[in-house]
Amino acid sequence: MAKALKINPRDNVAVLLGEIRPGEMVDVTIGSEVAHIQARQQIAFGHKIALVNLAIDQPIIKYGEEIGRALTAISVGDWIHLHNLYCRRGHQDGAK
Amino acid sequence: MLTFHGYRRSQGLPGVRNAVAVIPSVFCANTVARRIAEHVAGAMAFCHPVGCSQVGLDLELTARGLKGLGRHPNFYGVVVVGLGCERFQARELAESIAASGKPVEMLVIQDEGDTLQAIEKGVTFASRLVEEASRQRREEFPLSEFSLGLKCGGTDATSGLAANPALGWATDQICEAGGRAIFTEVTELIGAEQILAGRAVNPRVAGQILSTIGNMEKRLSAATASAEVQHRSALISPGNEDGGLTSVVEKALGGIYKAGTGPVSGVVGYGEYPGGPGLYLLDCVGHDGEAVTGLVASGCQAVVFTTGRGTPTGFPGVPVIKITGNRTTWERMRFNLDFNAGDIMEGTPIAEVGAELLEKILRIGSGEPSRAELLGHDELFCITRI
Repeated sequence: MAKALKINPRDNVAVLLGEIRPGEMVDVTIGSEVAHIQARQQIAFGHKIALVNLAIDQPIIKYGEEIGRALTAISVGDWIHLHNLYCRRGHQDGAK
Repeated sequence: MLTFHGYRRSQGLPGVRNAVAVIPSVFCANTVARRIAEHVAGAMAFCHPVGCSQVGLDLELTARGLKGLGRHPNFYGVVVVGLGCERFQARELAESIAASGKPVEMLVIQDEGDTLQAIEKGVTFASRLVEEASRQRREEFPLSEFSLGLKCGGTDATSGLAANPALGWATDQICEAGGRAIFTEVTELIGAEQILAGRAVNPRVAGQILSTIGNMEKRLSAATASAEVQHRSALISPGNEDGGLTSVVEKALGGIYKAGTGPVSGVVGYGEYPGGPGLYLLDCVGHDGEAVTGLVASGCQAVVFTTGRGTPTGFPGVPVIKITGNRTTWERMRFNLDFNAGDIMEGTPIAEVGAELLEKILRIGSGEPSRAELLGHDELFCITRI
């Protein structure tokens, strides 16, 4: 079973420690606790998986801080990356 | 109590190496400086492309960088080599270094006659300094006498998960013991400025953090404003995105993990040494060479460099300690890497790996060679420019 790491207790995403295929279960570790969630897509090593359902514009939290907001509705087990996270910083035009 | 063995200096922190630096004040003196160092075991030359045909802040950064390098505690003494007609005069450099209390010799090629005469005089100076340095013995110092530089490069997903958290743990121990740690790479902090400002010891430092990062962002915006270069404006590399990084904030947060969790005591300018203990932000760009040179020119006796992809680079006279959180990189680049933080990925507590890392840092600080030193890597000396 693939593993993922939730870095900070406030986080709503975890980082995959191995590659996972759609439908596979992931062990998510936070400290000494482990939760199990089902991946909805293929997710690569080092990429993020959603731990909660998120509505559009809700903050996405990693390292205990907001790293961006949901560009679309996101479900538990979704891969989170450029297609569904926006961050106004680092863009010349400030666009989504 | 954690301690290390270093070389006492008449002023400031002890050195963790006891080399003799041969520093040209201008690029025209590079070959003379290099040949002096080639003739004298224990001497090392710092060749660079600057020191003339510069004005204003650009020339000032060169002056500050070379002065900060020259007064660095890892150098027992310095031979300054000038040409004679350059804008950054050898005398200014030599006098600034001498004020730090260490032995300094100076020679100016146009005064000596020619290359051969300049080399001969320089070899005499450097060999005498090496002999003097050899009589010194290491002494035990507390962790409060350590100043550690923090850097990352060749970042992958393991950097923010394992290597940087382990280094952050060690950083906290050093700062809590009354030592110093310096982080920089201001180009990589854009997006995390409010979080960092929230860690400042007081509102004045918070303002300095915000203005330092804000000024860097303005500089980058100006450099990428033209439509012709808009395709080169990304602060995240394609490799970062392939590795799972989605936003500049996410990248910045993973990077500042190596600066631990403690308060930020102040901001130092390029070539400036911190005025006291604690964690400091150095105003310098993220380029590996410019950043490590900046950390050295602010007095860091050693630099810990976290790397996911693996990089072999080093700095003359200053240990650059390579740590990775990536087990594959650790196995593939074994001889370039000093420490594996990858056990954190398998569930080993950060504190356990961080404590082992701190021990390794202090062993290297007490004389054990880093891998970059063993292999003679010296690519990281690079004076910043505007």
